[in-house]
Amino acid sequence: MDIRTPNQGGTRVAQRYDAVIIGGGHNGLTTAAYLAKAGWKTLVLEKRRILGGATTSDEIVPGYTFSVLSYVVSLLRPEIIRDLELAKHGLEILPLDGTFTPLHGDFLWRRDDHAATMREIRRWSATDADAYEEYGQLMADMARFIKPILGMVPPDPTSIDPRDWLGVVGLGRDFARLPERQQAAFIGLMTMSAADFLDQWFETEPLKATMSASGIIGTFLGVRSPGTAYVLLHHYMGEIDGAFRAWGLHKGGTGAISAAIASAARALGAEIRTDAGVSRVLLTPAGDRATGVVLESGEEIAANVVISSADVRRTFLQFLEPGILPEDFEAQVRRFKFRGSSGKVNLALDALPTFTTNPGGSEYLRGAVSISPSLEHMERAYDEAKYGRFSRRPYVDMIFPSLVDPSVAPPGKHVMSCFVQYAPYNLAEGAQDWDNQKEAFGNAVIDLVSEFAPNLRDVIVEKQVVSPLDMERDWGLTEGNIFHGELSLEQLFFSRPIPGWARYRTPIRDYWMCGSSTHPGGGIMGANGRLAALELLKARRTKVA
Amino acid sequence: MSSQPSALFDAVVVGGGHNGLVAGAYLARAGLRTLVLEKRATLGGTVETRPLADGKRAPGLFHTVGRLRPSVARELGLRGHGLTLVAPDVRAFAPQPDGRAVTLWADAERTAAELGAWSAADGAAWVEFDRHVRALAAFIASLNAGTPPATSGGSVGDAITGLLLGRAFKKLSKDDARQLLRVLPMAIADFVAESFESDPVRASIAMRAFGFSALGAWSMGTTAALLADSAGNDGGAAGQTVYAKGGPGALSDALAAAARGFGAEIRTGAEVVGVTTADGRVTGVALASGEEIAAAIVASGLDPKRTLLGLLPPLELGPNLRWRAGNIRQPGRVARVNLGLSALPAFPAAGQREEAVRRLRGRILVGATGIDDMERAFDASKYGRVSDALLLEATIPTLVDPSLAPDGGHVMSVVAQYVPYRLADGAWDAAAREALGDRVVARLESVAPGISGLVTAREVLTPVDLEAEYGLTGGHPYHQEPGLDAWFAWRPLVGHARYRMPVAGLYLVGPGAHPGGGVTGAPAENAVKEILADRRKRR
Repeated sequence: MDIRTPNQGGTRVAQRYDAVIIGGGHNGLTTAAYLAKAGWKTLVLEKRRILGGATTSDEIVPGYTFSVLSYVVSLLRPEIIRDLELAKHGLEILPLDGTFTPLHGDFLWRRDDHAATMREIRRWSATDADAYEEYGQLMADMARFIKPILGMVPPDPTSIDPRDWLGVVGLGRDFARLPERQQAAFIGLMTMSAADFLDQWFETEPLKATMSASGIIGTFLGVRSPGTAYVLLHHYMGEIDGAFRAWGLHKGGTGAISAAIASAARALGAEIRTDAGVSRVLLTPAGDRATGVVLESGEEIAANVVISSADVRRTFLQFLEPGILPEDFEAQVRRFKFRGSSGKVNLALDALPTFTTNPGGSEYLRGAVSISPSLEHMERAYDEAKYGRFSRRPYVDMIFPSLVDPSVAPPGKHVMSCFVQYAPYNLAEGAQDWDNQKEAFGNAVIDLVSEFAPNLRDVIVEKQVVSPLDMERDWGLTEGNIFHGELSLEQLFFSRPIPGWARYRTPIRDYWMCGSSTHPGGGIMGANGRLAALELLKARRTKVA
Repeated sequence: MSSQPSALFDAVVVGGGHNGLVAGAYLARAGLRTLVLEKRATLGGTVETRPLADGKRAPGLFHTVGRLRPSVARELGLRGHGLTLVAPDVRAFAPQPDGRAVTLWADAERTAAELGAWSAADGAAWVEFDRHVRALAAFIASLNAGTPPATSGGSVGDAITGLLLGRAFKKLSKDDARQLLRVLPMAIADFVAESFESDPVRASIAMRAFGFSALGAWSMGTTAALLADSAGNDGGAAGQTVYAKGGPGALSDALAAAARGFGAEIRTGAEVVGVTTADGRVTGVALASGEEIAAAIVASGLDPKRTLLGLLPPLELGPNLRWRAGNIRQPGRVARVNLGLSALPAFPAAGQREEAVRRLRGRILVGATGIDDMERAFDASKYGRVSDALLLEATIPTLVDPSLAPDGGHVMSVVAQYVPYRLADGAWDAAAREALGDRVVARLESVAPGISGLVTAREVLTPVDLEAEYGLTGGHPYHQEPGLDAWFAWRPLVGHARYRMPVAGLYLVGPGAHPGGGVTGAPAENAVKEILADRRKRR
């Protein structure tokens, strides 16, 4: 069949798809591209008017393009870039240089220039400078060791089929061959708090605090919570893959990544429709097999397989009628933890703000600017959030995309993107109260940054505050969790999203999952979408072209 | 080259705490000429009965002994050496601000009935929750029963897989097996919230999960700690509450008698200051007095940091292991307060007379009023402060054993958490110690009005005092923080979890080794099996 134009209007559609994918975020698009590549007739349905889901950019203020939610990339899997030839489809990552931590009367500035960074750390502590080299080497080794997990489909722990265990057993063997010191580091990374892990190496507070921040992003945990050390590794994943060094920005905003994947998917034959929200998944009369979807418009689309890239709660509780799922499974879906913890403040600026104590020039603003003066600052921000308040003095991670990519702001003007934690979805007054507290939240962020850059208020043209409630309402991120569910140990690998259901299948035949609620979790990785597609093709014995 | 022919002993045990005594007893029982050396004048270490100023006697650091491994008691014949255990029918009693209480009983049905008063759903959930905890704890117990697998060498993948797929795992239902991997790293706050809706009920169950640690209710790994606390004995979801008649010291006395009965020699007032080595092997120990004692086997009951950094010559360790040993985490967060009381204090939430006496025989939990309340107490300690609303686990051992107060009255033993070893402002001097004592009594006053008027003697041990008194580095009762980063095959350090320390002939037999802290005797019993296996190999 070669009719590629979607049916407009009518409630019945003659054509039948091999696969329909719910959601046009980066994972849904990745799955679609891989399935189309294998020759499947594939359709992606996106509810919003633009593709990309949370990986999106939008001109909120005339002339200024904001990467509204996700704002940096480093984890996009290199095999996806290769397989889908994303460079051809316009993928272009601009490196961000370093991290600047402003302090009262001083600063800490780490950048790509290794010698400069070493001099800077030595200015703070000679032992930390020595440790920094050793630490970097160890983490790169660890990232190399753990990388296979991102490409592995987790077995069901009760499975007795040895084939399911090959990957895990292989990893176990590799672990046994690691030197004791690396074994110790690996166990520490899997179980410790970011603060405890870093305390082993370093003594400089702003250094530890700024490094620890990567351990808490997107989670409802503090830098002293066990389980946060693991994410420290992610910073080094990008490095070893050589795709891009550490963190980068996408030219034209994060949305361009989705555009590149969408372009690749289309070129491989996939159809993509926007403004096409799915209201329900169609099942056989017995309710045990998916046969297609119903759109919010009432249109029905038949498919051999339906794949949801929405989060687990939407996938099972919104798209299916109650009572279809086994009771115990549904209970487990309900207790899957979301607990969004972050907000965003995007600013359109007339000029760059000036940080009181700075190294001169504007080079230091070309990377991330991190408000993380001490571990205590970070932990106190978390303590407030635990009891349902947004942090009055939060952790803020800022970037100025316009410095790296002038196309996102009018000439001479700038865009400032602030990722802010903690903004707990569940406020003590209830999540709905975010609409009342949002203004105060935005002001708290601006007040805090102004302590370090007093002219900030004077250069703000417009601000956009995105609360976790906004993320839920506008992007379908349940409870505003940017990773489609907490990345805590009990919701990873075997147990993501539900113990026994980590292999992209669901209790309903021909209904699959491919979003960030699945292994290996959230971030602009694409691994979930790719693994789901490969697992589905394997199950159907279709070879990837 | 094994032990010198001149050696009088085959094995020397450093430290006469309960694990040291268990090790001494098992080694002697196996026919080794064994010497146990204790620095203090008395035996038992943290498991002791200590005098109060008013003539009464009170527990040392630990006040209950319900986790003692049953095989240790049986094989060492502790009952024959005078050990009598008393298990009241109440496990825990948690008075609440509204004058009511959450009570957990040994009898699950009774607990369920009483929890029903807080929430019908919670009452209905208890029996299944207790079953679930017991099923998962049984698996932990099977891990605890032996030496963890080696993490190096070609077969570890097989070993771990074999273990997971092994008999213990298979004993779990398919659902329990999947749940085990999910719940082990969980925060206890989440684990209890999955079954219970009433905040006081959640808190009263959860409090045990972070006892003696620097973890809070929202910290990952606390569910594993609760399961470990329930493993091996009749703990279940309510946790154990078992007293030794004569105080915890009676257990140590029985262990010492058993060790001597098997032929071990025990010396007190004998402080070991170093382990002597030659050619990468242990040759014996050096005492503070200057005396050296030769032995091919040295079993240390001291904490791992003290053992590796304090006893061994630095060159034996190498820089890498020294660095790792130096980073062993021992953040002490508890203080101990013992009170002599002229009469039984009245807890209005416990009811009247007989009924009250019955409820007060268990662990009395003060501050288990809600998950957030407990978390706030934890928050203060992260910044080096003592919380205004301390969490207390109190017992009144004289209710089951009046012999501790020969002239009448009662003894109350209190574990106070969270009390940081390092204060942000100031040090643990006499004034700070007494202020802490006052704070604990004031906290008790909130649930037992009038108790301060009954106090006839008071002893306060801060974390720094616990370090000085019992040789606990950082004041940590478990020798090493019981987080998932120091667990099973990587406790105390990966590569050294099989009781063998880096110098041949040196073993760790205390709670810094698997399966960790508390009054169990388990690390020592496991360790001796390895010592004996090595000895057979060398022959």
